[in-house]
Amino acid sequence: MDIQEQRQGAVTVIKPCGPLALGDADQFKATLLDAMSRSLGRLVIDATSMAYVDSRGLEVLVEASDEASQGGHALRVFGLNETVREVLELTDLSGKFEHFEDVTQAVRSYL
Amino acid sequence: MSEKNSTLNQRSAPRRAFVARGDSASILASSLFGALLAVVVAASVVWSLGTRRLDRALAARDGAQRTVALLTESALESLADPTPASLSSLRSLVVRVAADSGLESCSIALPDGTTIASSLPSQISHDSEEKVLAGSWQGSASGGANEATIGFFSVPTSVSISSGTMVPGRGEIRVHAQRLISSSWISSATPVYGTLGGGLVAAAGWAVVSWYYRRRTRALGAIQQALRAMDRGCDSASEASISDSFGAEAIAWNRLLAEHEELKESMLLSQSDGPAGGKIAATGDLGSACDALWLGLVILDSKLSIKYCNGAAAVLLRAKREEIVGQSMDEIVRDEAVSRTLESIASGKNRQRTSVESRQEAFANESSGRSGGVASAAILRFTARPLRRDESDSVMVIIEDITQQRIADESRNAFVAQASHELRTPLTSIRLYIETLLESGESDPALRSKCINVIGSEARRLERIVGDMLSVAEIEAGALKLRVGDVRLDALFEEIQNDYKIAAEDKEISLTFDLPPKYPVLQGDRDKLSLAIHNVIGNAIKYTPVGGKVTVTANETDGRFQVAVSDTGLGIKPEEQELIFEKFYRSKDKRVGTISGSGLGLALARDVIRLHGGDISVKSEIDRGSTFTIAVPLAVVQGQSMAA
Repeated sequence: MDIQEQRQGAVTVIKPCGPLALGDADQFKATLLDAMSRSLGRLVIDATSMAYVDSRGLEVLVEASDEASQGGHALRVFGLNETVREVLELTDLSGKFEHFEDVTQAVRSYL
Repeated sequence: MSEKNSTLNQRSAPRRAFVARGDSASILASSLFGALLAVVVAASVVWSLGTRRLDRALAARDGAQRTVALLTESALESLADPTPASLSSLRSLVVRVAADSGLESCSIALPDGTTIASSLPSQISHDSEEKVLAGSWQGSASGGANEATIGFFSVPTSVSISSGTMVPGRGEIRVHAQRLISSSWISSATPVYGTLGGGLVAAAGWAVVSWYYRRRTRALGAIQQALRAMDRGCDSASEASISDSFGAEAIAWNRLLAEHEELKESMLLSQSDGPAGGKIAATGDLGSACDALWLGLVILDSKLSIKYCNGAAAVLLRAKREEIVGQSMDEIVRDEAVSRTLESIASGKNRQRTSVESRQEAFANESSGRSGGVASAAILRFTARPLRRDESDSVMVIIEDITQQRIADESRNAFVAQASHELRTPLTSIRLYIETLLESGESDPALRSKCINVIGSEARRLERIVGDMLSVAEIEAGALKLRVGDVRLDALFEEIQNDYKIAAEDKEISLTFDLPPKYPVLQGDRDKLSLAIHNVIGNAIKYTPVGGKVTVTANETDGRFQVAVSDTGLGIKPEEQELIFEKFYRSKDKRVGTISGSGLGLALARDVIRLHGGDISVKSEIDRGSTFTIAVPLAVVQGQSMAA
C-alpha cells in the first residue's frame, strides 16, 4: 500500500492509497502512530483513495482513535466513500472519528 | 520494593507454636496417613501371630489323634491274649509314647474306670493287672474323639483326644491322650520380623513423604489462612504476610502484599492533599474529564515537581504519563522564560494568571523509525496560576498547542507582506507610466504607445495577482466550487501555447508541446484547470534561465489525463519539494529571490487539481531541472465537485 504523507502547516495529512485491509493494516498503523507522535496529535486522514476497509483495518482505525483520544483529540477524517462510511455506521464506530468535508476544513479545525 | 519486603518479613517472623502457620493441613494429612500405616502394620502383626498360634493348636490336635490311634492298635495286640509281660510292655509303650509326643498325659482304661496303663504310673489302678489277666471285663467305654473347637480367636489351652475300642473276646477299652497348647501370642517373634521390617520401611517412606509434602504445602496453607483472615476483615499486611523460608510461593505472596500495600499508601496519599511532592490521582468522572481535555493540564508542587498531568499534557510534553509524574517541570520544558514564570507563581511572588509561549524543539531521538520523518518543533502556550488563591504551594498549568495558529499567523503576515509587495510593484509602474503619459504622451506617440502597453501589461499582472488572492481566500473560506463541464482540451492547449509562445521566445527558451493527436473528453472546471496548468508552465518558464528548454507532454493513462511539464531550470532541493506547494512559500534559493512571485501559484494548482480528484507531484534535481506532473481523472470523482 502506498501511503502518502503531507504537511499542511503543523498538521500532518496521511493518505492511504488503496483498501485498508489485512495485509496493509499494520503498515498503515505504524505510519499513523508515528506521524501522530511526531506532530503531537495534529493529524488528518485523507480517505479519498481508501476504497474499502476490512475488520483489521477497522481495528487499526479504532486503535489510532484511542491513541489520539489520550491527547484529548479525536481522529479527524475526510473523504470517506459511501462503502467505508456505511461500514463505520454499521459497526457503530462512526462516532469515534471527527468527519470533515475536505482537507481544508480538517486542517483548519486545529486552529 | 525490596525494603518493603524486608520490613514485612521482619514483621512476619515465624512465631513459635506447636503447629506452625500453614502446617495444619500437611500435619492433618500426614497424621491420617501415619495412623493408617500403623493400623495396617499392627493388623499384619496380629494376623501373623494368630495364624501361627492356630497352626500350633491344630498340630497338637493332630499329634494327639495319631498317638491315640497308635496306642489303640498296640492295646488291641497286647490285650488279645493278655499276659503280665504284654501288659508291662503296653505300659512301657504308653510312657515312651507320651514322652516322645510331648503329651501332658496318656492312659488306657477299662470301662469301669480302671486305668491299666498311664504315662503317670501313680494313676495305674492296683487291681488293674488282675482284671486284665482275668480274661474278660464288662462295661462299655464311653468316649470318642473329643475335639474342642479351634479357630483364629478360639484356641484352647489343651486338646484331649479319647477313643474307645472293643478288644475281641475281652471287652471294651478307652484310650485317652491330652496335650497342652501354648496360649501365648508371642511364643515366637520370627514370623513378625518381616512384617515389622516392612512397617519400618513404610514408616520411613511416610516420614520422607510427609516432610516433602509439608515443605510443598505449608506456603499454600499459610496463604489460604491469610486469605481467610483477610476475608474475615483482617487488612494488615503484617498479619497476612508469611515467612520467605516457606519457599517461592511465599516470596511471591509477600511481593504481592507489598505491592498492594504500596498501592494503598499511594492512593491514600493522593486522596489526601498530600505533602509537597506527593502525587495526585484524578479518578472517576473527574479523571475522565481531565483526560478528555484537548488542553494539557499539569499541577505542580512548590518545587515545580509534577503532581498530576492529564493525557494531553503528556502528549504535548512528549513524555510518558506514568514517568512524567514526580519529575521537575524544568527538566521537561527546558525554557528559561517558562521556568521563571512558574517559579514566581510557586513562590507566591506572582498571584496572577500568567501566560508564556515556548518553542519546544523536537529531540533528535524522536525521528520516525519507519517513515524517517522528523518530529517537528511545536509552539506551546503555558498559562499558569496558583491552584488556590489563598495558598502558594501548588501551581496549575494549562498547556495549549498553538503551533497551527502561529503558522497561520505567519502565513497571514507573509501574505500581507507579499501582497503589498506584489500589488505595489505593478501599481507603481502604472502610476509612473501614467505620469509620463500625462507629461509627454501627447507630444511623443511612440512613448505614449509604450506607456499604454506597459500599463496594460501591469494591469493584467495586477488582475492575475488579485485573482490568485481571491482564489486563495475562497479556498481558505471553503467557498471554492468547481463548475464541472466537458473541457475541450485541444482548445485549452492551443490557448496555452499561444499564451507562452512570446514569453518563451523573449527568454530564448525552447518551449515544446508533445500533445496527443486526439484528446479524451475530460470533465472538470475549464477555468480552474487552465489556471493550474498555466501556473505550472508559467513557473517552468519563469525559473528556467535564458537558453533553457521546457517540454510539455500530455497523454491519457489508466483513465487519467496527465500533463508533465519538464524544464532545465534551477531545480528544487529535496527538502523544499513538498514545501513549495504550501501557500506563500518561496524557495530559500537566492536565485529565486530575484524573481518575482507570490508563492500562491503551486498551492492554488494543487488545490484545484485535488478538487478534481487528481494530484500534482514533482521530481527535481538542483541545477538540472524539474518535472511537475499533473494527473486528473477524466471524470470528476463524486463528491469532489462541491468540496473545497
